[in-house]
Amino acid sequence: MNLRASLAPLAFCLACSRAAPSNETVLTFSGSALGAEGTLVAKQLKRFMQLNPGIRVELQRTPDDASQRHQLYVQWLNARVGNPSILQLDVVWTPEFAAAGWVLPLDRYEPEKSKFFPATITANTWAGQLYALPWFADVGLLYRRTDLVPNEPSSLEEVVADAKRETTKRGGPRYGIVFQGARYEGLITGFVEYLGAFGARIIDDSGEVVVNRPEAVRALEFMRDELYGSKVAPLEVLTWHEEEARFAFQNGNAVFMRNWPYPVAAMSDTAQSKVAGKFAVSPIPKSATAPNGHSTAALGGAQLAINAYTDHPEAAYKLIAYLTAPEQMLERAQAVGQYPTRFGLYDDPRLAGAISIPLESARRAIESATPRPVTPIYTELSEILQIELHRALVRQAEPKEALDAAAARINAVIDRTGMRKLMRARFAPPPQAPDTNGHGE
Amino acid sequence: MRRVSRLGSEARLGWTLVAPALAVIALIAIFPLGWTFWESLHLHELRMPWLGKPFIGLANYVEIAKDPRFWAALGHTAFFTVVSISLELLIGLFLALAMNRVFRGRGFVRAAVLVPWAIPTVVAALLWRFIFESQGGIVNALMIKAGFLDQPMVWFIEASTAWVPVILADVWKTTPFVALLLLAGLQNIDLSLYEAAAVDGANAWWQLRHITLPLLKPAILVTLIFRTLDGFRVFDLIYVLTGGGPGTSTEPVALYTFNALLQNLRFGYGSALSVVIFVITFALAMFYVRGLGVRLGGEE
Amino acid sequence: MSGGRAVGGAAGNVAHRRTAPRSRGSWVFAAALILLMLFTLFPFYWAIVASFTSDAALFRDPSLWPQHLIFDHYRALFTDRDFITPIRNSLIVAGTTTIFCLVVGTLAAYALARLEFRGKAPIMAFILAVTMFPQISIVSPLYLLLRSLHLIDTYPGLIMPYMTFAMPLTVWVLTGSIRQIPRDLEEAAHVDGATRRQSFTKILLPLAVPSLATTGILTFIYCWNEFLFALSFTLGPERQTVPVAIALFRGQYQVPWGEILAAAVVATAPVAAMVLVFQRRIVQGLTAGAVKG
Repeated sequence: MNLRASLAPLAFCLACSRAAPSNETVLTFSGSALGAEGTLVAKQLKRFMQLNPGIRVELQRTPDDASQRHQLYVQWLNARVGNPSILQLDVVWTPEFAAAGWVLPLDRYEPEKSKFFPATITANTWAGQLYALPWFADVGLLYRRTDLVPNEPSSLEEVVADAKRETTKRGGPRYGIVFQGARYEGLITGFVEYLGAFGARIIDDSGEVVVNRPEAVRALEFMRDELYGSKVAPLEVLTWHEEEARFAFQNGNAVFMRNWPYPVAAMSDTAQSKVAGKFAVSPIPKSATAPNGHSTAALGGAQLAINAYTDHPEAAYKLIAYLTAPEQMLERAQAVGQYPTRFGLYDDPRLAGAISIPLESARRAIESATPRPVTPIYTELSEILQIELHRALVRQAEPKEALDAAAARINAVIDRTGMRKLMRARFAPPPQAPDTNGHGE
Repeated sequence: MRRVSRLGSEARLGWTLVAPALAVIALIAIFPLGWTFWESLHLHELRMPWLGKPFIGLANYVEIAKDPRFWAALGHTAFFTVVSISLELLIGLFLALAMNRVFRGRGFVRAAVLVPWAIPTVVAALLWRFIFESQGGIVNALMIKAGFLDQPMVWFIEASTAWVPVILADVWKTTPFVALLLLAGLQNIDLSLYEAAAVDGANAWWQLRHITLPLLKPAILVTLIFRTLDGFRVFDLIYVLTGGGPGTSTEPVALYTFNALLQNLRFGYGSALSVVIFVITFALAMFYVRGLGVRLGGEE
Repeated sequence: MSGGRAVGGAAGNVAHRRTAPRSRGSWVFAAALILLMLFTLFPFYWAIVASFTSDAALFRDPSLWPQHLIFDHYRALFTDRDFITPIRNSLIVAGTTTIFCLVVGTLAAYALARLEFRGKAPIMAFILAVTMFPQISIVSPLYLLLRSLHLIDTYPGLIMPYMTFAMPLTVWVLTGSIRQIPRDLEEAAHVDGATRRQSFTKILLPLAVPSLATTGILTFIYCWNEFLFALSFTLGPERQTVPVAIALFRGQYQVPWGEILAAAVVATAPVAAMVLVFQRRIVQGLTAGAVKG
């Protein structure tokens, strides 16, 4: 990180805001622009402008903290402000913004949907239309200490057994497995992986809430057992977010960690990491005891959408199509190590050097990734589930009781908001004009 | 109003002098407050624009009354406010008396006392998280050394223990504010009263109870009102320290309102929550005013 | 004005609920004060130590004593990121708000404390009432309002909301203080032919200096640390204040602890300096002694 790197986007903006011919189309791009990402974005925007004279793009920084960016977007879009023209959406926001009418449907521009991983397209589709282009993907991965566990575990039970064995050895790490267990969205992403491992889901394809089915209860019981039964996970994880878990593993205190791909760079740096060269990353395995279990990863990442109030939708689409084109995605992977969402790139040898886990593992993980429930009311659902899960994990409630309560409350919310029909008919057209005679209740 | 009489011109002068303050406040606040009241009477779900924005009267308020999570949040907020304010008043009074003294290093003490107030809330919350971290935290280290604990306690996963860092952090951060307000109040007490009492043989404790505290009432009133207001609106501190957890055991009403408004995008319901918070804090403020026997319109 | 010691000594035992000979009371008082100072300053001390520690070491073994000090965080603050501009913005906004608040608030407080007219209680209640709404509920409609006034991403767009929310404290504290100042001096001045304005500026204001200094400091600090409005009403680095700048340090998952703490330490410095300069004013001290004589 040097002076030029961070000032580049700023200089870029200032340079842009000088002479402005009145027939120029001006777009505002709001997205992650911190450090190396910022330099990269500035470079790509500049190239875009060279290829498209007549379009000028300005960079507007928004906080990377998800809830702060969400808050700003809500405020702007509620006020029908056309800037920023391009919005960077977290993967769970697309249905919400789509339903609120804040982002434009993209199908009429004929995006190359078949070239992206199906899970990423599903997550961005609402009421039969695509509303955002997947930009880069984050997936939950299992990190392990290769000096302690040389081979990739084939099941969750094996993970626990390995963890137990290594922590009970003399001089072994303090923690068996660390993950994000605080009461926030990260808890749901981890839970989704356990659910998949046991063959369970939160909401099934027909829109029914199935998070309290027996397989799901077993998944939760397994998580709890890691804390209180085999004790391979320390109770602290119940207050940890990504960074605390990362440091625990990076400082050599954990055998396994569940986290996103971002720590790889820091952990490979011998100056600050005690596990540089001694770790490997692989998809999270399934449970050996569940017949329908499968290895899965929670799907995260960012997508690019067009502000519905912008004056220049075509130009905006050109920009997001450009940024999600293969060359730009490859460049992004090489510059900041983020995983492209086009599966074709995983056959490209140039990608191998860019992301620091084997291409096959990355591709497997994204292919098997599970989006969280794709619905506009996802935040309410998530909140309910977070609360009940956390209560079960801190032993304020039993797993079955907690999940039953969660299912009941989620169903209540779905009924209250009238979402049931929409969630059943996922590919039907959206409802029409406002119902002036009353509301869905 | 008789324009010629002194009363009339005094009223005119009075209104002229308060006009700038009222103008700024009216310009900025009238619209948002009115909008909030208005929204609270409607159903307004941003994620479902096809529902429109129908007028539903008090239905949002009824939903609040039936919502157990709201009542729990209210309970948490009340508990937090009462405990914090009590501690802050006690320590703040002591500090105010201390800062009033003449002694070497008083300048440093006064500046040092204000440092916690000067630190951004988010940073203060982060600091206190670190201090109460189970593995490397200072508190656990000290308690183990002193023999109170055999092994590190995870403070944030039990409802009862999670309140300790929250309240400590708030007391740490806000006592300077209280101390400063009380100190300002101390300046208005006529010192000859103390001298007279000392001559009559009254000791320090008597002087405190019969001179200082009664004359400090206006300052205590202001402090109580403003601290209660802030206590009822506490958000950042708890958001960063516990996120409202474990479960929802430390969730205050302002965090619940934030969720409703900006996470779940239920503007109607969230606005109703805000109005409820307003009504409660207003009632408390009026209760303080009555209880402390201070007339807002003036003493004489 | 000899009262300082008398008051302090008289009330020094408050925390200990017993009468005691002066020397023992003073000793206990001093001990309590030292303990409180430790409690007050310890987290800040720890923040300073942590700001000189690498992030990894921070999580490894956070310790009370500085281990291996690095300056990277501070350097990054001024080279990688532009921290000067946010400080400038915060100074302008906080300073302007404080000055305006004091001026406008003092005028209002004078009227409420010294003049007789109907509607004083409702005025005070109204001024207070506007701050009883949680900020998060106000932020959306206020954004709409400021946008329609074209004040988004401007200094007035922050100064005016800050004034609105800082005014109640100023008005209430000053009103209370002025009420407690006896009217004799002003009445004597009237008899001597002074106008209302003269008695206000020459007699009342000097006596109100401690309250003015106190509310000035509190208002300044409030503006300095306010985050939600600053985040919502500014768009770019040219107008963003310190808390917003610090929030922008964060990545989606990454939290640069060391830099955040370094930024907090740097941000606290102007405030601490200001307090050190004004701390004499918050106590009556020698300024009003001659007048009271």
